[in-house]
Amino acid sequence: MAANMYRVGDCVYFETSSTSPYQIRRIEELNKTPSGNVEAKVMCFYRRRDLPNPLIQLADKHQMAQSEDSPIAMKLKKICLKTPVGEEQAAQAVLDPALAAMEEESSELPGTDGLAPKQRHQAKHRELFLSRHVETLPATHIRGKCTVTLLNETESLLSYLNKDDAFFYCLVFDPSQKTLLADKGEIRVGSRYQTEVTNLLKDGEEDVRNSEELETLVWTPEHGLTDRQIDQFLVVSRSVGTFARALDCSSSVKQPSLHMSAAAASRDITLFHAMDTLHKSGYSIESALSSLVPASGPVLCRDEMEEWSASEANLFEEALDKYGKDFADIRQDFLPWKTLKNLVEYYYMWKTTDRYVQQKRVKAVEAESKLKQVYIPNYNKPNPALITSNSSSGKAPAVLNGGTNGTATVTAAQLCASCQVTNSNQWYTWGPQHLQYRLCGTCWQYWKKYGGLKTAGVFGETEVEAAKGPRGEGEDTALSVSHRPHRCTVLNCAKEFKLRAHLARHVATAHGSGEGARPVMKTRAAFYLRASPFTRLARRLTRALRRPRHYARSPFSPINLTQVKHECSAAMAGLGAAELRAAGAAGADGSLMYERVLSRAEIEARRAEAAPAQPLKRRAYDDINGLDTTGGAREGGECAAPPPAKRPNKHPAPMQRPSREQYAAMCARAQATGQPLPAHVFTHVNGKPTNISGRGGRRHVISWMDAPDDLYFRANETAKMARRSLSCGELRRGARAPWRALRGGAVAGGGAGGAAGGKALGGAAPLQLVILD
Amino acid sequence: MAMQPHSKKRVCYYYDSDIGNYYYGQGHPMKPHRIRMTHNLLLNYGLYRKMEIYRPHKATADEMTKFHSDDYIRFLRSIRPDNMSEYNKQMQRFNVGEDCPVFDGLYEFCQLSAGGSVAAAVKLNKQASEICINWGGGLHHAKKSEASGFCYVNDIVLGILELLKYHQRVLYIDIDVHHGDGVEEAFYTTDRVMTVSFHKYGEYFPGTGDLRDIGAGKGKYYAVNIPLRDGMDDESYESIFVPIISKVMETFQPSAVVLQCGADSLTGDRLGCFNLTVRGHGRCVELVKRFGLPFLLVGGGGYTIRNVSRCWTYETSVALGVEIANELPYNDYFEYFGPDFKLHISPSNMSNQNTPEYLEKIKNRLFENLRMLPHAPGVQVQAIPEDAVNDESEDEDKVDKDERLPQSEKDKRITGDGELSDSEDEGEGGRRDNRSYRTPQPRKRPRLDKDGSTIKDEIKTEDSKDDVKNISSVEEPKKELPPNP
Repeated sequence: MAANMYRVGDCVYFETSSTSPYQIRRIEELNKTPSGNVEAKVMCFYRRRDLPNPLIQLADKHQMAQSEDSPIAMKLKKICLKTPVGEEQAAQAVLDPALAAMEEESSELPGTDGLAPKQRHQAKHRELFLSRHVETLPATHIRGKCTVTLLNETESLLSYLNKDDAFFYCLVFDPSQKTLLADKGEIRVGSRYQTEVTNLLKDGEEDVRNSEELETLVWTPEHGLTDRQIDQFLVVSRSVGTFARALDCSSSVKQPSLHMSAAAASRDITLFHAMDTLHKSGYSIESALSSLVPASGPVLCRDEMEEWSASEANLFEEALDKYGKDFADIRQDFLPWKTLKNLVEYYYMWKTTDRYVQQKRVKAVEAESKLKQVYIPNYNKPNPALITSNSSSGKAPAVLNGGTNGTATVTAAQLCASCQVTNSNQWYTWGPQHLQYRLCGTCWQYWKKYGGLKTAGVFGETEVEAAKGPRGEGEDTALSVSHRPHRCTVLNCAKEFKLRAHLARHVATAHGSGEGARPVMKTRAAFYLRASPFTRLARRLTRALRRPRHYARSPFSPINLTQVKHECSAAMAGLGAAELRAAGAAGADGSLMYERVLSRAEIEARRAEAAPAQPLKRRAYDDINGLDTTGGAREGGECAAPPPAKRPNKHPAPMQRPSREQYAAMCARAQATGQPLPAHVFTHVNGKPTNISGRGGRRHVISWMDAPDDLYFRANETAKMARRSLSCGELRRGARAPWRALRGGAVAGGGAGGAAGGKALGGAAPLQLVILD
Repeated sequence: MAMQPHSKKRVCYYYDSDIGNYYYGQGHPMKPHRIRMTHNLLLNYGLYRKMEIYRPHKATADEMTKFHSDDYIRFLRSIRPDNMSEYNKQMQRFNVGEDCPVFDGLYEFCQLSAGGSVAAAVKLNKQASEICINWGGGLHHAKKSEASGFCYVNDIVLGILELLKYHQRVLYIDIDVHHGDGVEEAFYTTDRVMTVSFHKYGEYFPGTGDLRDIGAGKGKYYAVNIPLRDGMDDESYESIFVPIISKVMETFQPSAVVLQCGADSLTGDRLGCFNLTVRGHGRCVELVKRFGLPFLLVGGGGYTIRNVSRCWTYETSVALGVEIANELPYNDYFEYFGPDFKLHISPSNMSNQNTPEYLEKIKNRLFENLRMLPHAPGVQVQAIPEDAVNDESEDEDKVDKDERLPQSEKDKRITGDGELSDSEDEGEGGRRDNRSYRTPQPRKRPRLDKDGSTIKDEIKTEDSKDDVKNISSVEEPKKELPPNP
């Protein structure tokens, strides 16, 4: 019962979309709508995954700064956190030398020392970002309580990991300005803030302070009277007050009964006056008594409550109704003969009256729509992502079996994408449809609550996220930027960085040029285009594709596929099947096909064989991955190994423009090594878990980290010259079958690059591969 | 005379009957009226007659500029609701306007609040009282040239500055739910005032008070911040308050204490988020009082006014050492205390986010910091010839008392000792070392340079003799202590 009672101030899970993780909100208000539903005004906490990428880097830096109290860390804190960060500013912040120094340090949350990598990974799921953003959600979407506390440096993150539904936050995120701020005030230091500390008085120095000037004694306990005597005197003074009211005409109107007079005479003002009288008469009851009844008649003490006439009281209530408690206005417009102090005093006394109590009741009824707590029963409806037994045995394999290596993938899909278990009471589909991932019951719960998978790197969950596109309804899609670290691939280093540019500079500075002319970054996933017959056909038939050279050189410029399809179908309509077959075998579906790139070893093998004259200096592939046996087998050297077996193109990765960061990395690299931008092989940074298919169709799932490095070709002058010497047809053929020696290999040096294509030159020409992500 | 048993403390109470009529404005949570409500309860509980009651003077601009900047005080003096428009720029500069509105009689209100604390401090300096109370004070957010958090003039800082004339070291404790940033900032770089603040930290006004804020320069380690989370209850509060304060007393050895009793740490406060009862809050007063040092109690926050007046009434009774009934006596504002009309309040069922582990960790970290304190700070190390005081200090408590008994007859201040030993000490470690910082006081020599040196001397002798006393045992680990991790 208590668990399902949600109060204002509680932190709760809200489910706004069945497939995405819960949102974490704090209830600020609970309001009943006229229709009887309860709406919760909530304050948003954001998860790490909800933040734009640059901000996550800042958050990490902040953590770092927190963990060390070095001056540089403090500086960093100020720089980073006080500047609003757009992407560009983030890039600038990165270039700040102070920050550059910092980034060499590992950027982990404090207290992560001693945490296993898995725990470290999970700790990130427990971090939230406070915001001042407030929204209104139906209370029925509440799915349980959680706690969110400000992380204290004395705490280890383990204490959060060990507790269910426990989150922490360090920073405040402003979703509208995209800024992160530390929720921390500052004690300022300087003569403008500190006081001058008074010195101790020296011996013989006189203290100028004189208590007599600073205070007036109005009562002392050193009076020789007993409690009883004082009480008696108080009773006497009240009696005198009652009698005084009897004598006073105005009072007798207000207090027609003796009881009322006595009550009025018992108010605190009479008592205070009695005490003062006692004090003034030197605690002599006798003289005090006589001063209670001076010649002018018995003393009458009246407070505002009594002083005010009934009409004044009515005026006041009317005014209060009209102006609220703006006493200055009330005084001005209603009761100008009263002072402000009169009004305030009266107001606080008026609050004890029945009139006020009645008013309060009226207000209480009005305020009834504001609830203090709400009962939300457990939510029992099955999540749409739940896989019912029918569909899990039927549908999933059906799709997957379409592949040549179907059996393998089925096994993969039936594992929990997070913990790899095969047995679970419940299964949930997870991630983008086409990936067919699924989660076991526990991992699904974990995903819903903490917004991540228990284990990192099995499938980089972020990939799935990135591929997911727009998220839960009404949510700011701009926030869903995936995030993953970039790890230095140099042996025994393996530092992680949040930005590729960081990694680039790290490699340049820490590892120098010993690395050779090759940045250590990877593309997200390497592929190259293998044209299906239909594609080839389309190239011939379609005007939009008449400029192969152009497209080859600028692989990032988009090709209007709709137009291509349109033109194609139009052209094909006029041709018979035979003609078509003559033009090229029709593809099954006619879309562009992408293939995974060859493993590095294969490439190595081919290059070693094809271009012994100009070997490229590169680190052995097995440094990272171990040797791919298929590659090794090929080493012997048939001229060219064909690309891996074709797979159904159910994984169309979007053509992507290399990001600014990637270029920054290249440039940084080149500058650091003092070389011009290398004209040949480049690998690209990026990281993405990728599925590499071996030749035989066993489907490996390799994390992005283990994926082979990718290459792409950058033409130098010679290469361009060489290309010009080739005929268009040769060029195309080369591009399409990059492993095949180029017939026109006599040309001295040269290669061809194409849109998502690779090319090798035979003979003396350097072999080049072009891969883009 | 029979009215006041010997063991009772002499309590001075500062109040101006005007204070309740200052009004911050419509909807503003700060209501000076709560001070008047407290006052009326005190009268009707019969506590009024047991104290010296003073009407404070209005602090002059000169007095206020002992801490505040001249132009800030000049501004406060001249601004009124009807001339606000002429001061737009200055209002911004001095942060007056929103939280700290310009209201009628603003300057007078500041004068009364500051006047009370200053007069109280002088009173303590003159040893004319052991405990002074100014519920109208405690405005701990006010900065040197800036208003903040409903506070304009920092009466606490002014009071402490006054105390520093006679006291080498003054301890400031703040149990308001908000951080005592104004006081902490004012004394951030001095080792003569230690500020200890217990407060809610995290997404909470004023945003300062991190565990890592420990002071700067000479004042490093002299600011102690205890960041707490929602739902602190009596038990957890005491579990952190007692050890911290005992340790602070032991290491800092103040000769006067100022306690800010902000009542917004009570359960059900309009702005607060703790779950303390009046008893738990008052327990802090009791604990601090036990150390028997000159003691200034000031008010502070507190925005559910019926509970504020309950709390301060109870704390006045604690200061007086008088038990009062749970049944509230009839008074002008009796109706405010419905429906139960009781003095004590019950905690709510809100959850306490401060786990024992969390509090333990905080405590340990603070202990580490406190271990960095040199003993008897702020006192020059100088060779001082042995004198009677040293011998005295070597002696056992008993001997101590015997020797001083005749003196105590001359001076009523000594009466505190008797009470102290009678009181239910819990052996938290605070008791043992009371002796050392109390020693100088009964000598009826207000000159603190002497006091300081005696303390120092004492410690030196204790150290050299390798006495197994708190002081020396604390000293030891300090040497091996690694820099604060």
